[in-house]
Amino acid sequence: MSNKKQLIIQGKKDGKRVSSQALEALVQAAVKNNAGNLKIIADGQQGVGGRIWPDLGPVDIEIDGPIGQRVGCMGMAGTSILVNGSASDDVGWINCGAKITVLGDVTNGAHNAGAQGLLYVQGSGGARCDTMTKRNPRFAPLQSWYFRNVGDSFAEFKAGGIAIVCGVDSRNPENILGYRPCVGMVGGTIYFRGPIQGYSEADVNLEELTSQDWEWLTENMKPYLRAIDRESFYEELTKTIGDWRKLIPFTPEEKAERNETVDREFSSWREGVWEKEVGPAGIFGEYLDHDRSIVEFVPAGENRRFKPVWNNNQYLPPCAWACPSDIPSQERASLIRQDRYEEALALVLKYSPFPGTVCGTVCPNLCMDACTRGQLDKPLDIKSLGRLSLETPAPKKAKPTGRKVAIVGGGPGGLSAAWQLSLKGHEVDVYEADGVLGGKLELCIPRDRLPQEVLHKEISRFEELGVGVHLNTQVDKNLFKKLYDDHDIVLIAVGAHTPRKLPFSGSEDTVGGVDFLKDINRGHPPDLAGQDIVVIGAGNVGMDISAQAFVCGAKSVTAVDVQPPASFGVEREAAEALGTQILWPKITKSFNLKNREVNFEDGTSLPADKVFISIGESPELDFLPPEVDTSRGLIKVSMIQQTSDVKVFAVGDATGPGLVTHAIGAGRRAAEVIHAQMMDYDYVPEAKAVIPYDRIKTAYYEAEAVEEFDSTSEANRCLSCGSCRDCGMCVYVCYWGAISRVDGPGNNWSYVVDEEKCIGCGFCAGTCPCGVWEMDKNL
Amino acid sequence: MESTSGINESNELSLAEFPYIIRWREDRCTRCGKCTAVCPTRAIEPTVFLQRRAFSKGEGPNPEVTREVMQGVQQINDLERYCTGCATCSFVCPNVAIEPEYNPHHKFLFFKNKGGVPYKRGGRRNDPGVSTVDQLKFSRISMLTDPALDAARHEFYVRTLLGRVMPAEDLPLKTVDDKLMLSGPSTFIPPVREIFPIRIGSMSIGALSPNMWEGLAMGITYLNEVEGIPVAMATGEGGMPPRLLKSRFLKYFILQIASGYFGWDEIIHALPHMQEDPLAIEIKYGQGAKPGDGGLLMAYKVLNLIAEIRGVPKYVDLASPPTHQTKYSIEEAVAKMIQSMSMAWGFRVPVYPKISGTKTATAVLNNLVRNPYAAALCIDGEDGGTGAAYNVSLDKMGHPIVSNIRDCYLDLVAQGKQNELPLIAAGGMGKTGNLAANAAAMIMLGASAVDTGKYIMQAAAGCLGDEYNRCNICNTGRCPRGITTQDPKLYRRLDPDKVAERIVDIFVSANVELKKIFAPMGRSTQLPIGMSDGLSVSNKETAERLKITYAV
Repeated sequence: MSNKKQLIIQGKKDGKRVSSQALEALVQAAVKNNAGNLKIIADGQQGVGGRIWPDLGPVDIEIDGPIGQRVGCMGMAGTSILVNGSASDDVGWINCGAKITVLGDVTNGAHNAGAQGLLYVQGSGGARCDTMTKRNPRFAPLQSWYFRNVGDSFAEFKAGGIAIVCGVDSRNPENILGYRPCVGMVGGTIYFRGPIQGYSEADVNLEELTSQDWEWLTENMKPYLRAIDRESFYEELTKTIGDWRKLIPFTPEEKAERNETVDREFSSWREGVWEKEVGPAGIFGEYLDHDRSIVEFVPAGENRRFKPVWNNNQYLPPCAWACPSDIPSQERASLIRQDRYEEALALVLKYSPFPGTVCGTVCPNLCMDACTRGQLDKPLDIKSLGRLSLETPAPKKAKPTGRKVAIVGGGPGGLSAAWQLSLKGHEVDVYEADGVLGGKLELCIPRDRLPQEVLHKEISRFEELGVGVHLNTQVDKNLFKKLYDDHDIVLIAVGAHTPRKLPFSGSEDTVGGVDFLKDINRGHPPDLAGQDIVVIGAGNVGMDISAQAFVCGAKSVTAVDVQPPASFGVEREAAEALGTQILWPKITKSFNLKNREVNFEDGTSLPADKVFISIGESPELDFLPPEVDTSRGLIKVSMIQQTSDVKVFAVGDATGPGLVTHAIGAGRRAAEVIHAQMMDYDYVPEAKAVIPYDRIKTAYYEAEAVEEFDSTSEANRCLSCGSCRDCGMCVYVCYWGAISRVDGPGNNWSYVVDEEKCIGCGFCAGTCPCGVWEMDKNL
Repeated sequence: MESTSGINESNELSLAEFPYIIRWREDRCTRCGKCTAVCPTRAIEPTVFLQRRAFSKGEGPNPEVTREVMQGVQQINDLERYCTGCATCSFVCPNVAIEPEYNPHHKFLFFKNKGGVPYKRGGRRNDPGVSTVDQLKFSRISMLTDPALDAARHEFYVRTLLGRVMPAEDLPLKTVDDKLMLSGPSTFIPPVREIFPIRIGSMSIGALSPNMWEGLAMGITYLNEVEGIPVAMATGEGGMPPRLLKSRFLKYFILQIASGYFGWDEIIHALPHMQEDPLAIEIKYGQGAKPGDGGLLMAYKVLNLIAEIRGVPKYVDLASPPTHQTKYSIEEAVAKMIQSMSMAWGFRVPVYPKISGTKTATAVLNNLVRNPYAAALCIDGEDGGTGAAYNVSLDKMGHPIVSNIRDCYLDLVAQGKQNELPLIAAGGMGKTGNLAANAAAMIMLGASAVDTGKYIMQAAAGCLGDEYNRCNICNTGRCPRGITTQDPKLYRRLDPDKVAERIVDIFVSANVELKKIFAPMGRSTQLPIGMSDGLSVSNKETAERLKITYAV
């Protein structure tokens, strides 16, 4: 207390209230005049006692009468305010160091935003006291002392300072801190004594007082009680530390830690609550029998989505798929690469008795058209590879079975079947109407395209095998019946030798083209010197006829057709090289031999000394019994070459026109069925799909100019479609080390997958040069 | 097999036509194969690349060639195996070596109809624009004019009423000796449930994997029982496992019945064993994502679990027709279905229809207003999601939810019934992640609650789909997250506990966000349903159409 004389300032003048502004002016003037001791008789004025500068020395202010809001607001150090009685709202608002003593209650918002100074309250506080208080490190912390209790929302957003609630004669005996104190409190301390009903648990922690707390409290309690004239309570209030507790905010670190560890412990809730109510393994537990554990996105083993399969030789390479005789050229290449040369050459004889004649000479080699290598540079030279087997002897026959097969017709189809059946140990008799075996190979293919020694070399293999050959034997009805009765199976391969004719005028004066070819091959070539020749039908046979006509001296040869000519390849090239003209569309109207003229429907005509007709041939089937059905002059066969009589099979041109290789393939497939039928086991024809081209990785190979044929380099050129070439690329590519090579059996090998390492990525399949690895769903 | 000469490159698409293009970094790739193992559509595949170089060393031309064949990853040029942009490859790549890149110039829709089959997919409307509801702002902030509230300090009542709220004078009640007694010719008081105003919309068992569905169900239950937030979830049309039907948790779930009636015989069989009533029954007449179109659960998805729960044989196609088969008019449909469903639980359970957004919604509404058993009307707008639909239905069919709800609410206001029949808004709620804001905006336009589905799949399970047609292959059963698949290999990627945990996160936080919106607007004790003066939009036409403030 200043010992200066107390200056009294009246808040009421002449019975009228002095305005807050005027009263403030009086107070400021008095303080400037060095009046350190003021008494204000207030009349509801606001903001009394605030904002008094400390450098003017200490100022004591005593307030009587009804005081307005914000007593001591923005008060500074050195100012002491004593309110005799209760004060209104916001006492000590932004207190910056004033000591404020209220001998009564304070209403709402006491010390709101206070920073320094003291607030001593003799009674209780209203709502929102000690909210937003601050702590400035340059000064001692603010203190707010409440003797009784405080109202709701106490210390919201409190950021500093110490609040003490003594809890004496609380107006709310159950709760001295009001409803939900400390929301958003981040600093400061609240000491309190008495019961409370909750606080903001997200912000503050309730703790016991430490001895340091207790020391501070008991020491600072004395001046407080003295100031509010309640010294007699000192003993009661400091009787035991256990009566007091404190609320202090969590540090930011503690808060962050608490936020992080909001652990709802779902797994224990699931077990303890959820599954307890709905049953073990949850609501779907009774329907799902698989492992329910969580799997990673890319698991190995059984949980993979896909798995690689080493599908070695499970698909046909395009060559074998395209070959009507099913010859696996990739296998031959593989054997050559493995230095198994003899086996490689012998392999083809399992499929055809005519590798030199057909593959190597007359075949248009559909295999080569399909060859994947052709997409890179040139197809594999399968023609030359076929020719390599010309000298290869016949394979060893199987043990005799005692079963007998008669084959009518010694052309390529019949001989193919005879070959296969004989190799399987059956007794085979071939009945040939002509004086030699070979059918059209012998009779119709011009010798310059098929050297006779090649054909005869291969026909000689039949002698090695001991096939019964009956030449010059025309099979008629009677003989057929005998053959039928004497044999287990009869196979018809009579070919088609009757030239088909067209019903135009003068048709009878035309000559069958194949008859012309046969005459040449039999050594009786007609003399066509200086003649104009017209060939009706510009297919490959027509081309052979045209070429041979020039050989026989023709002056001109014109081949006509009603449609785009079907001829292609060497036949076409040879005929055109000799000067054959090809005209289409030409529908023949008439042939006038006398006028040497062929007339066409389009009004044109051509000079013609001779007209060869080459629009196909029909088989002679007069010998057939009625049990064998025919249709449009051809023998009806099923997919397995069986006729309507289960004992009778038919192949080749007698069943429909085709290439020599088609007849050979049909002969072999018929032999498979016949063998199964005679030996009494189920025959399931193998139906393999062709491997798609994009499975073969041509990137591994360099496009090269192929010059001279060499079997080894040719074998290396083979892309081995669908067939493992044992390069080991997959072993190296697999990041997970899941693939390894296993030897055997025999000369074979395989690649296997360790399921526990494999994730099913498909790198093996994507990089396999041969397309052997394939990805399957892992079910 | 095509012949060599038959390969016709003019008929092939270039990758430039594809919606996403794979960027593969050869220099970073370890060739571990994780990307190709995980790709849901097998859009990428390992292959070999050839690098061939001719060079000359020293002086003079001395040509030499090196060739290196290396393995790598290529994108497949086949529209049946297009990259969907899901980026699972990037997700599993240990070396940041691969990612899909959106191709804004793609011509996907020009080609995706092979065999005359129009493009079908799952997901949402591919419209990356800002939806109308996302343009709405809350502009009536209490600034001195009203007491402002503090979301953190004040207590809020963020609840809504599902069920018909009768005016007090119309209730069959009278006071006898200070006690409220039933009286009157009818003693029926429509059942009403108090729920959180954001619900999980109908997603069926079958559309969702068991792990996803159970995760949602657990999350919902936890919210109700532990967090005290009464969030409701609708089953979708796929039944409900008897274990849940017979549990005390049933009261948190809305059972949906739709045109396929799947699972309903099983539900009825479970009726005598139920400890609790379901929260409500939703009768589905339409779906916002594909209005007027039905659903088809493909046979390969109908495995043991689905078959048992739906009460059908395994491996059969399950068709939900576009329409209910025995209802030929609004009156009949509404009366028959609502009455039957109410009857099943002794008129104790709220029953309401769900329709797709349509210009005719007010006609349905007015019918419901006259039906004392109708508990609400749920309208599913064009931005709704689906597991499978024709692209054309998804992208081009439907009605925006905003004006649909607004019209219905104002229609109710005109009749003085706005507090009686709750409107529930669905379709695109939280489409861009603003779930609580969208919900609050719809509430202020007049909805009592909103449904959300896709937001839930994205926020709770990391669904990869977006409006640029990313992923969106829910229909194929190859969901890379395991959300919409019945393949255990895929759905075992998804941990139901984590889904549940996220559901709790989502709703606890949405609860805070709703308060953050309502508090500054001075609303705490009641949901501000229809408080449209709180909204504004910076588009004049929208403002006029919705009868809200135009503010720029």
